[in-house]
Amino acid sequence: MPEVVVTGLGFITSIGNSKGAVTGNLRDLKHGFERYEPFQNEDIPVKLTGTIKDFDTSSNEGEDWIYPQKYKVKREFLRSLSPHGLYANCALVQAIEDAGWTEEDISHPRTGLYTASSGSARGIHYHLGIMEKRGVLRCSPMGVISSIAGTLNFNLVSRFQIQGSSCGFVSACASSGHALGFACDEIMRGRQDRMIVVGAEDGNLESILPFAGMRALSLSDDPDTASKPFDVHRKGFVGTGGAVAMLLESGSAARERGSRIYAEFVGWGQGSDGHHAAQSHPEGKGMVLAIENALRETGLASEEVDYINAHAPSTLTGDISEIRALKKVFGGCQNPPAISSTKALTGHGLSLSSIMEAGFCMLAFEEDFLPGSAHIEKLDPEAESLNIIRQSQERSPKVILSNSSGFGGANVALLFRSVNAN
Amino acid sequence: MNADKDMLLSPEAESQLRESLKRCSPETVKAALAYRRDRDTEHVPVLVIGIIERFLEIEYREKIREGKDGLLLVEDLGIDSLMMVEIVILIEETLGVSIQNEELLELSTLGDVKSLIYRKMHGIPTPRKPQPISMEEIESIVPIQRPFLFLEEATVQTEETTGWYRIRGDEFFFPGHFKEEPVFPASIMIEALGQLAVLHLLKSDNGFLEGKIDPNKIFFTSCDGVRCHRVCKPGDVLDLDVRLKQVRYPLANFEGKISTVGQKVAYAQSLSLTFGYVD
Repeated sequence: MPEVVVTGLGFITSIGNSKGAVTGNLRDLKHGFERYEPFQNEDIPVKLTGTIKDFDTSSNEGEDWIYPQKYKVKREFLRSLSPHGLYANCALVQAIEDAGWTEEDISHPRTGLYTASSGSARGIHYHLGIMEKRGVLRCSPMGVISSIAGTLNFNLVSRFQIQGSSCGFVSACASSGHALGFACDEIMRGRQDRMIVVGAEDGNLESILPFAGMRALSLSDDPDTASKPFDVHRKGFVGTGGAVAMLLESGSAARERGSRIYAEFVGWGQGSDGHHAAQSHPEGKGMVLAIENALRETGLASEEVDYINAHAPSTLTGDISEIRALKKVFGGCQNPPAISSTKALTGHGLSLSSIMEAGFCMLAFEEDFLPGSAHIEKLDPEAESLNIIRQSQERSPKVILSNSSGFGGANVALLFRSVNAN
Repeated sequence: MNADKDMLLSPEAESQLRESLKRCSPETVKAALAYRRDRDTEHVPVLVIGIIERFLEIEYREKIREGKDGLLLVEDLGIDSLMMVEIVILIEETLGVSIQNEELLELSTLGDVKSLIYRKMHGIPTPRKPQPISMEEIESIVPIQRPFLFLEEATVQTEETTGWYRIRGDEFFFPGHFKEEPVFPASIMIEALGQLAVLHLLKSDNGFLEGKIDPNKIFFTSCDGVRCHRVCKPGDVLDLDVRLKQVRYPLANFEGKISTVGQKVAYAQSLSLTFGYVD
């Protein structure tokens, strides 16, 4: 079975729009939260988001958006993008440059593209508003392709002239984990040699605020403590948007062209809670299955995992489920793996979160460090037996596990291994 | 400027118009405001060009400013179908006209756009392209039915009706016409032209009739000047055409032609039908 490796990364995130900035902030535990202007209204109890710096996508018209000049796109492409479509384009341009893929590599029958996003709630709301106000035939012809779930695919596949497999994945906060997993399978099964995976979210009022109705958001207005996964006093997550692109390649193709390799994508597993539409299983049933399936498929032992990037969004039930799942799988390990949740710094990126965190894991391999779990003042007693690292550590990880959970109890576990392992 | 005419454009309407046109050139905005005040169609060409220009990529803008009618929207200006819709929506909003999907499909040059807008401004209806009707629909109009209907599809216009028939090979007369050599009978070709003429009488709206024709009161009376040029066999497609020459109750006279892949097959100088009105 072909080996799958990661050769390109691109980041547009609340903690930086380049590999260098993201690495620095992860190492130094610097968060990306700010007071988000549209929330500064007394009727809105939520105040913070993980903001995307150097971008202003607040207008409903793409032509008003401000974004770094180097990513300048033609109107022809811009007109059918929602904010996360723009972020995704920028992240993908970065990743392609990072991997050194040529135009022929990208637009090739052996290169596919998988995406994950929930669509653009704001776009849908805006365009339906125009339909009601001005009439059906006055709707923008871009209304549908710029906003429904799938918008990322439509736009990126056409813009980058993709010829191989293409599909969008929707499993809420596990979406980009599924996209990565199935992209990995596509190469392992020999169907494709290269896969582009992109996760993105608008991260604006319309995509984040509805979670307040579920009482899932942190209402804190202190950016330094608002998101604190594994803390006993955690009160919900801070929302964020942005985009991360990751380029996967068969090991032979990558080595043939002498590419830098971040890590091997060894395999993945999934498992479902079969329990509740919104809440995770209290014992982390589906998460345990996902991790066990990933370990079995890759032939790795739990003992071999030295770092886990947890899903832990800083919600009461979400964190507990994962804590229990991790205790169940890794409780007997002689050298328990280091664990952290980088959502303490970035916020929860929803469909974006899984690939964002997998991207951070690549930086950990590349830069030889483990990002710490920030903002824990008092650790949840349930997590005391776990090796949750509060500070970043200068260590070269060999095997990393990255977890994600989505609504409906969908769980994804991704396993990566250093290519300098021995 | 006349102060009364200024009243036509409320401050809200003006600011909404300015907002919609915010990415257009100052001349375009000026022309739009002037048009909304005085409804003078003189302003329309500048306005239409200005609105199209606003949507074009920079490399095409120079071309549109020349404003040549022959400019091709897709090839010369890089306008795709979705951009055309964006352009139309803004034109509709600015001029207060409304453009239908079918009208959009017929636009291929800048001149087409200008003349469509001109017709809209002056309330001149767009000539409608006649739509072909299917065999099933033809059967619902004429009393002739399968297996004796030799029209697969037909398009009825004011003075002419065209249609086609693909010779299948399993028509009931082939075993006898001729022995081991299927040739489409010339008499059936004339029959097919007659059927097209019946359809024309029942379906075209040319204003010559004094009442509604009864489908069961149409009969063949005569056919003159018939010439056949080549034989047709299974697999051939007959392109049929009848043109109305004269109507004088109770007679209608047509000229008929059949061709296949552009070659003459048969010609009938005169084909007459009698008809009667519904009682």
